[in-house]
Order: sequence, then structure tokens, then C-alpha cells
Amino acid sequence: MSTTVFLVDDDAAVLKGLRRLLASAGLNVIAFESPQDFLEGLDGDAGGCVVLDYSMPGLNGLELQQALAARGSALPVIFLTGKGDIPTSVRAMKDGAVDFLTKPVDGEVLLAAIRAAIKRDRSQRGERAERTDIERRLATLTAREREVLRLVVAGLLNKQIAAELGTVEKTVKVHRARVMEKMRAGSLAELVRLAGKGGLD
Amino acid sequence: MSWITVLWPMMAAACITLALMQLLVWVRMPSRRAPLLFAIAALSVAAIAGMELAMMRAETAGEFGALQRWLHVPGFVLFVSLVFFVRVYFGAGRLWLAWTVCGLRLIVVAVNFLSDVSVNYKEITALHQVPVWGDAVSVAETVVNPWSRLATLSLLALVVFVVDAAIAVWNRGGEMRRRGALVGSSIALAVTLIAARNFLIHEGFILAPYLISASYMIVIVAMAYELGSDIHRSAQLARELQESDTQLRESEQRFRLVVEEAPNAMVMVDRHGTIALVNAMTEKVFGYRRDELIGRPVDMLLPERIRGTHAGHRGRYVADPSARAMGANRDVYGRHKDGHGILLEVSLNPIRTDKGSYVLASAIDISDRRKMEKAATELREELVHLSRVAMLGELSGSLAHELNQPLAAILSNAQAAQRFLGQDAVNLAEVREILGDIVEDDKRAGEVIRRLRTLLKKDEVQFDVLDVNDLAQEVLKLMRSDLLNRSVAVSTTLAPALPPVSGDRVQLQQVLLNLLINACDAMDHGGRGGKQIVVRSAPAGSVVEVSVADRGRGIPAGDLERIFEPFVTTKSQGLGLGLAVCRTIVAGHGGRIWASNNAGGGATIHFTLPS
Repeated sequence: MSTTVFLVDDDAAVLKGLRRLLASAGLNVIAFESPQDFLEGLDGDAGGCVVLDYSMPGLNGLELQQALAARGSALPVIFLTGKGDIPTSVRAMKDGAVDFLTKPVDGEVLLAAIRAAIKRDRSQRGERAERTDIERRLATLTAREREVLRLVVAGLLNKQIAAELGTVEKTVKVHRARVMEKMRAGSLAELVRLAGKGGLD
Repeated sequence: MSWITVLWPMMAAACITLALMQLLVWVRMPSRRAPLLFAIAALSVAAIAGMELAMMRAETAGEFGALQRWLHVPGFVLFVSLVFFVRVYFGAGRLWLAWTVCGLRLIVVAVNFLSDVSVNYKEITALHQVPVWGDAVSVAETVVNPWSRLATLSLLALVVFVVDAAIAVWNRGGEMRRRGALVGSSIALAVTLIAARNFLIHEGFILAPYLISASYMIVIVAMAYELGSDIHRSAQLARELQESDTQLRESEQRFRLVVEEAPNAMVMVDRHGTIALVNAMTEKVFGYRRDELIGRPVDMLLPERIRGTHAGHRGRYVADPSARAMGANRDVYGRHKDGHGILLEVSLNPIRTDKGSYVLASAIDISDRRKMEKAATELREELVHLSRVAMLGELSGSLAHELNQPLAAILSNAQAAQRFLGQDAVNLAEVREILGDIVEDDKRAGEVIRRLRTLLKKDEVQFDVLDVNDLAQEVLKLMRSDLLNRSVAVSTTLAPALPPVSGDRVQLQQVLLNLLINACDAMDHGGRGGKQIVVRSAPAGSVVEVSVADRGRGIPAGDLERIFEPFVTTKSQGLGLGLAVCRTIVAGHGGRIWASNNAGGGATIHFTLPS
């Protein structure tokens, strides 16, 4: 999976300098001179993070986050600003910044922030992928198997489940074995974890 | 004793007395010939009177005839003196007529002595005693000489001359009119009486003595009256002269006092540049004593460096003297005795006197006034500067951002270069490029600081030729990030090829900055149809007009003028000095600043600058 840092700053000189800095750290950088250009050129699946100048004309951090979400992207955003005052910082964090740095920013600090953001993106991305997988497995279950799974996860014994469903214990066992197989769970504990992550209600 | 014996000697005596009196006047004033001519006429009449008396007392025809013949001698003298009295006293009478009268009378006298008896009589046939006023006088019975008509003609010529002269005097008008009439009519009357009586006697209508002297007495009395009133007039004139002399002396004294005590240094200079008069203030201003100045060249009061050219200026001024200030709007310096320069305001006035043309220079030492003006100017500039600094304070966030950008770029570039250099395969081309960019960014930061410092420092006002459009662009660049932060959009309508204006760059930037900040402030609570400012420039006749329009709430109509007054503000924060300072600056550039409300909402501040 490719990792890209999206760099957005309306000041060409700053953009160039930052791009060089990130490139020197071996990062894959794509630079944009305006938030609009960035949103238009964004690939929703792209991984990495966004480094964004917070003092650009017409920029609203919250709207940017929404625009990102609308494009199916959950890229973490690092805000850069010329002003390091508290009201601006608070506003940036409320707008969903993962980090907030004051210009001129030290290269190591910025790179550390970017690495953290990328790591976070990566883990979020991994979790999202696992959940999707579990959901896919859950989707293969029949209605009866889902009911059995829910009751198993709720901690009922086979006999109790049979009583609940108005069937015999043997039938429950068959369903249960099929659920374990479909969910690729090796143990009851794992099945419970998968069901939890899969958002089974 | 008879009346005739009394009256005729009295007439003669009176004539002699009057003649003597006027002779005395003439001796005192030989240049005045009227009294002399009068005296001669009066003595002639006295002689005539005496001879007439002798004729009236004559006992033989021979005696009577001889007297009658000699009577023409004083008669001739009388004629001549009368004619020239009229000419001298009244300055009137035709000369050819005068000579005609005299010539005729001379012929009469000549004929008189060539005739048997006289010009009047061919012969005296008898001598009668005729009663007159209870007395008996001798009257001749005669044969009339035909030449006697010549005598009558000479009388007529005299009347014509006198009447003509009297008319001329009358027409001239004035005070002499009455005198001319009196003397003229008295002579005409006397001559007419004589001519008429002669006619009656010669034609034999009456038997009576001539009584010529009695008629001429009228003339003598009239003339004496006029001459006497001349004496009276002279006395009056003398008195008036004395009074006016006193007044003149008083006014001269007042003039001297005024000049002496004048608060200005007054220096009177003749056409050659020599000082003729100075006053007390001159001594005080220039440090010289009066006696060191009078009679010396005025150049000593001027600084050495202009002494050479001053003579030329003075020459031109003498050629075309008119009251005016010296130096025509330039500072004029004088020189104190100790050598230091004195700043003066000098006005020149030409003075004409009997003794020639002078120039009166009136000078005021304006060093103190200039010092005060300078202090006021400094104070005003201080205020302008302080308000600029305060305004930049408002813009500090924006300015920090402007400075931060290049610094951020430099830091990133430098750290990138460090990292590149730490790598195994160093990309020198990349590093070289980075260093080039660092240099550019550093220059950019320096430029921001330079702009800031220009605005912050307090410089002498310096007038340059400026393009208003450039100014507007520079200011907008300075405010760029502030405008972005406040979400204000600026559009410009700048006329191409504007005539340049003369002005102080920093101060005019200050005006534009101030107007832009005000426009932003006016739209803090949202503008109509978005926060937008329009900056316009356009030539308008001999000036360039610049305007800044916002879409704020506008200005109450009553405040359009007031907002330019100090300490008048509509903002919650602010001293209310911004627009007052703008007005001071614009006025200092010879321009005008005013406010108006836009038809579509919002306000516009306009100002003009002479191009």
C-alpha cells in the first residue's frame, strides 16, 4: 500500500521548501497550491496524511474534513499556521487536526508528526480492512445462523439456545459448527471477538 | 472857500497818498508790478486834478489853453498805466488792443502838440466865468479841433480793451471774476462819462468844466480797493500758511514717531542704495547704531553672498517701483552686525519726495515665527508618525505572517539540504538549487522588513514623483494576509497611464492603509453581498482622484464631514485619529479628502492629489 504526504500551501516558496524537506526524508510527496486543487486531485483510497497551511484564503478546516469524508478519505490532517495562539490552536483541533504546528516549523518536529500521522492512518486503515473482512464473513451467514451466533455470543449453552429457538440441541450444534467455519473462528473466544468487531447487534 | 477849492486838492492828495502806499508795496516787492502801475495811474490822476483846478481858476484864454494842452501828458501816462495794470494784474486783455490804445493815445499827444491850441481846440474864442456849486469857474468858449475825434476814438479803444479783458477774466471764473468786473466796469464807466461829457461840451450843448479827474477817481478808488484787499488776502494767506506749517510740522513729527516706534525695522534707501533713515527697531534687529547706518550703503545689512545680485534687483525695482514683498515667496536673510543671518519678511514701498525717489523697506524678524511654525510642523509629523505606528500595530498579525512565510521556507529548505548532505549519494544539483531558493527567500524577508521599517521610521517628509497605482498595489501587498484573514476581497479599478503625483511615499501609503483598514472594520459584521472593497484611481482634471469603497453600513449623513475631525470615531476601539491624520496628510499634499455613501450601501472615501 502506497503512502503519500499531501502538502497544501498557497505560498509557492514555502511549498517548495516543505516538499524538499519531506522528500529528503524519503517520503512520497504531492504538493498543491490550494485546498481546491488538493480536493480535486485526491484519490479516496490514498493512504498517508495531509500537511495543510491553516492561513489560506477561503479555508475552513471543518469543511475540508467533510469534503475529505465525502471523497471516502479519512486522511489525518496536520495543520501549519503562522500564528501559534491558543484560540487558533483550539479551533484547529476542533476542526479535526491530528496535529497543529507553528511556522517556521522544525524539520524533525514536522517529520515526527507526519510519521505519527502515517502510522495512525496505517493502523486505522488496517482496522478498517479487518472490519470489512469480518463484515463480509458475517454477510455469508443465514438468518438462523446469525441468530445462533448472537445467542452464542450472549453466552447461552447449546441446550438453552435450542430452547430459545424451539429446536433440538443437535440442530443447534450443526448451526454452530457452520458459523465457526464461516467466521473462520478457531475458538469460542475468537468468535466472540470477531462478532464484536463486526458490529453484530 | 468854495467846494471845488476843497475837493480837487483833496482828490489829488488822496491819489498821491494811495500812490505812495502802493509805491512802498512795490519797493518791498519789486517783482510785483501792479502796485507800481497803480501808483503811476494815481499820480497821473493827481496831476490831472491839479491841472483841472488850475484851468478852472485860469484868468486868460492863453493860460487855459496851455493847461489844456499839457493835460494830455498825464492823460497819456494814465492810459498806458491803466492798460498795463489790467494786463499785469488780471493777466488779461489782448496785446494788440493794448498797443492800439497806447498808439492811438500817442498820436493824440503828438497831434495835441502840433495843433494851435490842443487836440481838442482849434482856438479859444472867449473865457467865461461859470457858476458851479456856488463858485465861479473858468470855462472856455472854443472852436473844436476836428482831431478831437481821435481822442474820443482812443477813449473807445480803451473801453473796448477793458471790456474785452473783463469778459476774459469773467469767463475764467473763480475769485478774480468779481474783481475783473469791478475794475473793468469802473474804467468803462469813467471813460464813458468822460466821453459823454466831452461830447456835450464840444458840441456846445453845455458850457461846463471837464471834470475828468473826478471820473478817474472812480477808477482809482476801485483799483485801490482791490489792491487793498490783496493786502488783506496776503495777511490771511500768511496766517493760513502759518497754520498749515504748524500742521505740517505736527504731522511730520507724528510720521517720525510712527516710523520710530514701528514694530518693524524701517529702512529708507535712496535710488543709489544709500541709507537715508532708520528707526529704533532697525537698530535692535541689525545691531547697528543709527549713526553707523545713515549715509552708508544698504548692502551692509545683507548677507555677503547676495550683495552682488542685490544691486541688480534694486535697479529693477527702481525702474518699476510698486509696493510688494521682497524675495517673492523665498526666505530673505539680513545680516546682523555680528555676522549672523536674520530671517526676514521684507516689504518694499516706493516713496517720492521733492528730493527724489526713495524705497522704504519694512522688515520683520521672523526667526521666532519660523521656529514656531517649524515646531508645529514637527508636532504634526510626529502625530502622523505615531498614528502610522499605531496602525501598523493593528496590522501586526498580517505583517508577522508576511515575515513568517519566507522564514518558514528558509528553515525547510535548509533542513532539507542538511538531510540531503547526510545521505550517501549527495545530489549536489539539488543542494545548489536549495541554496538559491534560500537566498531568494531571505531577500523576500528582507524586503518585508525594509517595507516595515520605512513605515515605522520617522523620516523627513520627502516629495517624490509617484504613481498612485503603484502605491495602491504596494499597500494591498502589505495588507494581503490581513485581508485574507478577514475574508475581505479587494478589487481594483486603476486607470492606466495616470499622470504622476508629487508626494511623500510613506505618508500616502499611510492614507491608503488607513482607508483600507477602516473599510475592513466597517464590514466586520458582514458586508452586503460579501465583504468587498473596491479601490479606484482616475484622473480628474488637474488632479488624480483615489477612492476606497466598502460594503459596510455606511456613514450617517450628518457625520460625513465630522468623521475627519480628531477624536471622532464610530469604532468601539480606536482613538479617532486615523481620518484626521489622513486629512492632514492629504491637505499637506494640496489635495482634498471627503466621504460619501454608496447608492448600493456602504461608504466611499475619496481623496485627490494634484498631478
